[in-house]
Amino acid sequence: MKLLILGGGPGGYVAAIKAAHLGAEVTLVDKKYIGGTCLNVGCIPTKVLLNTTDLYHTIKNDGKNMGILSEKLSVDWGKLMRRKTNISNSLVKGVEGVLASNGVEIIMGEGKFTSKNQIEVLKEDGTKDIIDFDKAIIATGSEPVILPIPGIQGENILTSSEILSLEKLPESLCIVGGGVIGCEFASLFSRLGVEVTIVEMLPGIVQNMDQEVVQYLDFELRNEGVEILTNSKVEKFNSGEDFVEITAATPEGEKIIKADKVLLSIGRKSVVNNIGLEKIGIEYDRTIKINKKFQTNIPNIYAIGDCTGGAMLAHAASAQGIAVVENIIKNKSKMDFKTVPYCIYTKPEVASVGMTEEQVKEKGISYSVGKFPLMSNAKALILGETNGLVKFIVDNSTDEILGMHMAGPKATELIVEGALALRLEATIDEILTTIHAHPTVGEALHEAAHGVHGYPIHLPK
Amino acid sequence: MGQLLVMPKLGLTMTEGTIVEWFKKEGEEVKKGEKLFAVETSKLTNEVEAPASGVLRKIIHKDGKLAVLEPVGILAGADEDISDLLKKAGSSENLEAEKKVEKQEKPKIEKEEVKNTGGRIKASPKAKKLAKELGVDLSKVEGTGPGGAISIEDIENYQPEKETNVKTSPTAEKVAENLGVDINKIEKSERIMKDDVIGYKNFEMLKEMADPKETREKMTNMRSVISERMSQSQQISAAVHYNLSVDTREMKRLRDKLKPIKKITYTDIIVKIVSRVLLEFPILNSSVDGDEIIKRNYTNIGVAVALDEGLIVPVVKYANIKGLKTISDDIKELADKARSNTLQPDEMSGGTFTVSNLGMFNIESFTPIINQPEVAILGINTIKETAVKVDGELQFIPMMTLSLTADHRVVDGSVAAQFLNRLKEYIENPNILIL
Repeated sequence: MKLLILGGGPGGYVAAIKAAHLGAEVTLVDKKYIGGTCLNVGCIPTKVLLNTTDLYHTIKNDGKNMGILSEKLSVDWGKLMRRKTNISNSLVKGVEGVLASNGVEIIMGEGKFTSKNQIEVLKEDGTKDIIDFDKAIIATGSEPVILPIPGIQGENILTSSEILSLEKLPESLCIVGGGVIGCEFASLFSRLGVEVTIVEMLPGIVQNMDQEVVQYLDFELRNEGVEILTNSKVEKFNSGEDFVEITAATPEGEKIIKADKVLLSIGRKSVVNNIGLEKIGIEYDRTIKINKKFQTNIPNIYAIGDCTGGAMLAHAASAQGIAVVENIIKNKSKMDFKTVPYCIYTKPEVASVGMTEEQVKEKGISYSVGKFPLMSNAKALILGETNGLVKFIVDNSTDEILGMHMAGPKATELIVEGALALRLEATIDEILTTIHAHPTVGEALHEAAHGVHGYPIHLPK
Repeated sequence: MGQLLVMPKLGLTMTEGTIVEWFKKEGEEVKKGEKLFAVETSKLTNEVEAPASGVLRKIIHKDGKLAVLEPVGILAGADEDISDLLKKAGSSENLEAEKKVEKQEKPKIEKEEVKNTGGRIKASPKAKKLAKELGVDLSKVEGTGPGGAISIEDIENYQPEKETNVKTSPTAEKVAENLGVDINKIEKSERIMKDDVIGYKNFEMLKEMADPKETREKMTNMRSVISERMSQSQQISAAVHYNLSVDTREMKRLRDKLKPIKKITYTDIIVKIVSRVLLEFPILNSSVDGDEIIKRNYTNIGVAVALDEGLIVPVVKYANIKGLKTISDDIKELADKARSNTLQPDEMSGGTFTVSNLGMFNIESFTPIINQPEVAILGINTIKETAVKVDGELQFIPMMTLSLTADHRVVDGSVAAQFLNRLKEYIENPNILIL
């Protein structure tokens, strides 16, 4: 079978490799770069910057306390940028290598469907390739939303992609939108000494995650000097030579913020334009419409990942990439979205899987909560990061774990325990009877589990 | 090695079966794969084969209902000691326990081991007695009396821990407990999840509401004969079905005109026509015997008569030389006899072709089954006013469909079609009969 995949991000390239494993003849088309937003201007590069920031910030703040003496500690932004580029490049090369070793043909260029079984790819050198296919997967991803706010064209007003290529650190930064991306950049830049202001329309930052654990992030950001304006809306931008004046309507009245740079992180929108969807009649409005089998209204064309809306997370797209291919080739696949973890790589990290306490309440489920503050966790104390909390939400009728939420060191790594518990429909008893290594931050999960129907061992009663 | 034979679980929902026959006697030698006994369920009867060769040493359950997996017999070597097996079969609980150990998940076994290492069991003599009466395993009861001794209350309160023999998610087990579902009854090759339990419970509730019941009764002799003949016919003949509409106005006119002289029915007229036309198409009036075809210069037309108990087909003998009046009288007489159960055997045999009329039940077309050893049968249907274009105008004409089933072993499609068309010609112009 000839399978065409449009878009080489974590959805598309994973689908390509899986399809090759299952014997399909795969062509992967991408207009810009293999690895997509994730590897090039998203997950990976931001985490490189955050890693350096963590090290720098820890040594700067806690170094003396931990026994590290340093003079003139500073961040070499240029070197950091090069490392970021190198890591991205080496990962992209790696993916390309894996694709090649699986016999996937990669064509770089802008793909546009011309019929239900054909796509035209306009390559950089101006030539065109016509590719016939039996089935196709659209995985075109998403891009930052840019709202029509007056003055938004200013050259110091950046999206998350552009801010990753700054030549030097700004002195001040105004972040419009306090979601996951906005908070990661706030945590990054504030710890590097940049004066950061977040303007958020909603009543708080990261509203889609469990608010009790998000509080820990809110606290830490403010502690680092980030000003967070909630219930606030940007009305206009006035760009000066090397600064921007942001006018925001806040509950306290109009406020003018002056910053070197502005980051727009209002959200992301699906890429659905200029790929020939209208031409072959694929239904979409803001996202491509699909059924449970990821099929568009054209039965031999499928769509996955950010271009179909949903969670807009790399790991969700990859999971869909596997599922869609198994669907196409083996006609069997179940995709269980309940184990998709949500992670913010801030300090403290925040991670979440399953239902939040807000969602459980809304559904009217009778539930119990078990919590454990990292203040009482030995490893967190050693790491010098005790600002955090682990929280389990459990269904009272069965003790089934409905959600796990965490703020603190390693939260993004430890969330896998919660995801696995959800996948296995574990009850809190399975966490309780699983022996957690000592000393680890993971012990806090065990302790929180104890807290569901009793008391954590290491907390005073 | 001797083994217990058990009531097999033949389907997902089967909980019990009925042994209707043992094909072997006690002490009889059995080869692996030979039929041992027959089990009847609500759906079907199955013959159970011997799982190994040996001697059927003991029939434990001779006939009647029994729960699945309960012992029914013992298969062993001729001289083998089967006392253990007999003992095992004597107590079905033992059997159950053995099965469970095989299927149990590891953690459960560990749990039991822990409990069993507790050493001596403290219990009052009264408690011991009660435990024996109730069949409670003392080693599994937690004592609350002095020094952990087991009291009478402990035994009364003791509820055996439900064993799970299947792979389940922990939540699924809890949900099953909450909903009162026996999780072992859920059939699934993969791990049983929460939704499976809920789905099972929903189905159980549906079943409870529907309260499905089935009854069983022996077939009457007549029904047995029909049943056997019909299925036999479907196996023997290569049945092809043909339908053709005919204009019935002339046939009606004939009937109406004859009315003052003699009351005849459409069936009478069609039997008359058929017996004439068959002589033109002797192959439709034939029978197959081995590799020979029997053709006749006469037609014996069977006319199907519906009775409450079933169907009967008396035969109008030599209809080809009988006039319409005689045919009509014959059919009436035979039908009366059929209804009063006074038909003689020879009045029901020797047919060479059959006519079956469902017109009175408003049937517009059907596929009759050939009455063996004949090779064709004609179905007559209801007469329906049908819009027909005649000379560019719509006319409503009483039309009837002729449904012919013919055995393609001897009757080719074109022959059957010509036969039907010839019938049509006659029905639409019965005057030909007097030629």
